[in-house]
Amino acid sequence: MNKDFSKPQRQSAAGIIVMATHTFLKIVKASFFIFVLAFIKMPLHQIFYVLAGVALLLVISFFFAYLWYLKFTFFLDKEKQEFVVNKGIFNRDQVIIQLDKIQQVNINQSILQKIIGVYGLKIDTAGAHGEEVSIRAIDETSAYNLKSHLLHKKVAVENQPEAETATQITEETPFLKISSWTLFKVGLTSNYGQSLALLAAFFYTVIYEGRQLLDSLKIDKNAIESTVTGMLTIVTAFILIGVLLMVLLVINMVRTFYKYFELQISQHKDTLLLSSGLIAKKNTLVNPAKVQITKYSQNYFQKKLNMLNVSLKQAHFGESKKGHEMQGNTMEIPGCNPAERDELLRMILDKLPKSNKTFIPDWRFLNLPIFFKLVLPVAIFIIVAINVPEVKPFISAAAIYLITGIVMIYISYKKHRISVSEEFIVKKSGIWDISHEIITPAKIQVITTFQYPWHKGVDVGHLCLHTAAGQIRFKYGNYTEIKQLVNYWLYQVEHRNENWM
Amino acid sequence: MPTETFTNEVIDISSLPKYEEIALQHPHSDYWKIICINLSIFLGLIGIGAAMLLFFINEVGTHAFLITAIYLALAAILFLLFRASFKKRGYSIRTHDVIYKSGIIAESTTIVPLNRIQHIELNEGILSRVFHLGSLQIFTAGGQTGHIHISGIPIETAKNIRDLLLKKLDLTENQTIDQAAS
Repeated sequence: MNKDFSKPQRQSAAGIIVMATHTFLKIVKASFFIFVLAFIKMPLHQIFYVLAGVALLLVISFFFAYLWYLKFTFFLDKEKQEFVVNKGIFNRDQVIIQLDKIQQVNINQSILQKIIGVYGLKIDTAGAHGEEVSIRAIDETSAYNLKSHLLHKKVAVENQPEAETATQITEETPFLKISSWTLFKVGLTSNYGQSLALLAAFFYTVIYEGRQLLDSLKIDKNAIESTVTGMLTIVTAFILIGVLLMVLLVINMVRTFYKYFELQISQHKDTLLLSSGLIAKKNTLVNPAKVQITKYSQNYFQKKLNMLNVSLKQAHFGESKKGHEMQGNTMEIPGCNPAERDELLRMILDKLPKSNKTFIPDWRFLNLPIFFKLVLPVAIFIIVAINVPEVKPFISAAAIYLITGIVMIYISYKKHRISVSEEFIVKKSGIWDISHEIITPAKIQVITTFQYPWHKGVDVGHLCLHTAAGQIRFKYGNYTEIKQLVNYWLYQVEHRNENWM
Repeated sequence: MPTETFTNEVIDISSLPKYEEIALQHPHSDYWKIICINLSIFLGLIGIGAAMLLFFINEVGTHAFLITAIYLALAAILFLLFRASFKKRGYSIRTHDVIYKSGIIAESTTIVPLNRIQHIELNEGILSRVFHLGSLQIFTAGGQTGHIHISGIPIETAKNIRDLLLKKLDLTENQTIDQAAS
């Protein structure tokens, strides 16, 4: 095998076995229930057919694996600095990855690969799919050789500390410190949604497990259910709701303290160091240049208490592959006061964004949500209520729903703003938690604009800015203005050629 | 950066190149044939399924007329929708970005600046190979929604575009490196 991978080459022939097993397992997994059914339902003497079927599948898997092996070639284009993979049994696919776009190269070994004595190599870029290229069988020396070739240009980058390096960090005076008292206030005012979800999940498991237990112990379920419903008078219901709210608050408080206890931020050369945590202290180094979206949000209570939540969103690679990876890339800093927020913003964005020109959405913004979230459900409810006598007494609930709904949608319309200056784009939105998302034009990856045909006459359209950490949308804006903005941002992105991370 | 060569003039926003006025390239007309073949296969499979139901289950048989009508309507709607979507598609490569327009009802335009492209994929399906067409996929770090997929480009053009884009990518890369060095 040549050492510099400059010529197209196949993987180890052992790859056929790996691939065949992979395909075979996939087929078996997909048709698992059919197999189980076949085993249960079939008379014993026909088991032979099932076995024959399995054998046939195995042969087919090997055949396809062999074709796949023949067609799968890869090589390193030294001049263009690209890694090229040709693959596809019937289709002919070519994947080209530029070396400096490679985020990481993983070498790993499954049990099967261990038995055969080969390694798997996976290449991650920041592109849409979590993993673009996966070579299933390559021998150890080639694997590490290839890895070093692929990451050759990246040596300087890799030395930069990325995250969770607790050592060799000298104690510096933090410029931002969140006290326990502030945390207490944070616990009172924010993140109800997450705690509620946690509580709901907890109750669901308790009830589910309880039922399982009752079933297995053969206890009369009806007796228990009737005593429970018997206890549910109005008074106990109120007490129960009160207790639940208390539990929610306590859970919220505990979560907040556990996560953000002694949160402090200090600056080290070019990076920010965040440290927090009650039991396990977590240190995170953030490079301000890598923060894609800076966001701060505030609700009514927090406004009265003069504090905000700031979150820094970084690019989330491989999000499609593992959903949980995304959260690790968002840094939350709860309970800043406005001065601290400004300090943080200055740290990350160099200067404070001044709202320059603000764009507001058209009133047609209200149409769709009012129709789909209010008019349609209320109409269905009323029709049901007229026909079902049991529901009739609750018909006044529809009015309450309608009024709160209209107020909420109107607020969301009033708060939906985008303000643009030469260096910043600030998107404001929200109903209860009013958030401001700030990006610089250099963080824009892709711009999408779209328009419904019936809005052509009134010149209304939508805008979506895709960044590596999520999208920023502005809906129902003046389409002429949006097009102008897009041209301006394209000019900024393409003309300056700034790095986005 | 030396200050004397640095200029910072006011930009006239209205004189910037306008993305919405670019004449777009449309997919090759052979691509419509591919769409038709794919649709026919799809409809054929559904048709076979429906026919089986009609023949073997008597209760369904009484609704034969209704089912045929629905089937035909579905076929017509599908062909019309795909035709509309085929007509609306268009792409264009500018010096600094790629523009792709699509959409059946809503018309959406996606613009990817060349210096934000992560990697490029060129795909040829079985049918596409018969008609010498290919499809280009352009990926960015903007996630699942931030990537464009242009189908029905003549294979030679597709290869040229790919090479052109890759060359541009190298160029912009080198520029940023130079900037960083100076």
